[in-house]
Amino acid sequence: MNEMSKNENLDIQIYNFAYLDENTKRMIRRALLKALCIPGYQVPFSSREMPMPYGWGTGGIQVTSACLIPKDILKVIDQGADDTTNAVSIRKFFQKTANVTVTEKTSDASLIQTRHRIPETKLKEKQILVYQVPIPEPLRFLEPRETETRKMHALSEYGLMYVKLYEDIAKHGHIETAYAYPVKTNGNYVTDPSPIPKFDNPKMNNSPAIQLFGAGREQRIYAIPPYTNVKSLDFEDYPFEAMKANFKCSICGSSDSYLDEIIVSDDGKRSYICSDTDYCKEQTKLNSKKED
Amino acid sequence: MKQNFLFQASNISKYYGQNIGCKNVSLDINPGEVLGIVGESGSGKSTLLNCIYGNLEVDEGDIFLNDKSKTILNFTKISEPKLRLIQRSDLAFVHQNPRDGLRMNISAGGNIGERLMAIGHRNYGEIREIAANWLEKVEIDVSRIDDKPSTFSGGMQQRLQIARNLVTRPRLIFMDEPTGGLDVSVQAKILDLLRNLVRELGIAAVIVTHDLAVVRLLADRIIVMQNGNVIEAGLCDQVLDDPQHKYSQLLVSSVLQV
Repeated sequence: MNEMSKNENLDIQIYNFAYLDENTKRMIRRALLKALCIPGYQVPFSSREMPMPYGWGTGGIQVTSACLIPKDILKVIDQGADDTTNAVSIRKFFQKTANVTVTEKTSDASLIQTRHRIPETKLKEKQILVYQVPIPEPLRFLEPRETETRKMHALSEYGLMYVKLYEDIAKHGHIETAYAYPVKTNGNYVTDPSPIPKFDNPKMNNSPAIQLFGAGREQRIYAIPPYTNVKSLDFEDYPFEAMKANFKCSICGSSDSYLDEIIVSDDGKRSYICSDTDYCKEQTKLNSKKED
Repeated sequence: MKQNFLFQASNISKYYGQNIGCKNVSLDINPGEVLGIVGESGSGKSTLLNCIYGNLEVDEGDIFLNDKSKTILNFTKISEPKLRLIQRSDLAFVHQNPRDGLRMNISAGGNIGERLMAIGHRNYGEIREIAANWLEKVEIDVSRIDDKPSTFSGGMQQRLQIARNLVTRPRLIFMDEPTGGLDVSVQAKILDLLRNLVRELGIAAVIVTHDLAVVRLLADRIIVMQNGNVIEAGLCDQVLDDPQHKYSQLLVSSVLQV
């Protein structure tokens, strides 16, 4: 059970493999199995203090820690990028505590921990996507009582969720919700996809990869098993639309990937680049090959 | 048991520990009929109302609803999902304080639309049209459809709450002091509106109030409660014109004459 021996090459042998102790990992795995059996259902788990603040992905890290095996190849992204603070610190954390191989290539990774994005490269079977979730309850800002929201889920009383979309249209003329856009998982539970842009919502549907969600502060785990129907909520006359900025990436020229808007000068000049750095690199490579 | 009744409660009792909430109360309501429940504060009116609506679990007794498909349902026996479904389709509940019955941070249209969306309406255009119609019915300017109820006056909020409840065409509506806390002219307006809507749509209603003028205006029959017991019941005019029980007499005689 003790995988300490595998960590021999570490300078300090204080931590168990992937930081958490085996019993904690077992507890989280149990929650994960339950979550996979009931797609979209929020399973409570006893979230641990992690050596970083809440909001830095403590839920995702615990899920990753419970899933990680020594031969895993880990990729960590934050808003699609491999090189932002959150991604770098979490990647280093697991390099240090689990000594796993890390990669930036989506297609090489066996486990991807993400904050606020789904990679552009299509995921495949035997890949696990771990989401960091700030607020797992899609009904939270509509109904503050946890006892009541649980009941609403249990009885699939989702009228209120539509009230939110109604308010969007009444106020803005279209569904303004652009991230954390609620979905219905397996035709049953309404689920918060974590704050990914709604551009990514269609990627959740029927995905061959396992999708796991961890909310550390809120102590909830939920999951979407492979090949599960995931439908974004909408009205008959205002159907769901996956949208993005209508520009091309100024680095790789891609027009079909999700873009970040960057202000590049004091007078407000803007530039748009892929939020998925790995995808952007791949596209740039492809382009230069074509030119050769 | 009569077959054409809409709603029936038999021998309902509710205790709060040693204290009696209401005791051995029976009542039945026919389709389209308005029943008034009067009594002083603490006499168990609201407890009774919450019991028969299904909000409070009763300690003794049975509650039957003759639903749309003519099946007789017993509230004390059916499952919670079923009860909640009935509460938002066949039944409605108007609170004394509109803040309890409305979502204050959601527009008037959204408030009316919520019950529609809860029973499966998924067409924005349709929902909005129905909401606008209902605003008109309760005499709120349609241009205020996107305004939040917090910007409405007390009377408007109460009318909005009524619209929100009636939009799914319930067959029985429970009202707990619907005009309490409103000034007299606004009260009159709301009573007028309620009377018209209830008659026009053929909705049965149970109205809890301590205001005898309200029951005189709206109710077909009334029951008078004291200390959790029903002490007198009968046709509205009969009870108010010729009260038999000492307490009813006191109640009727204490109405201020202008």
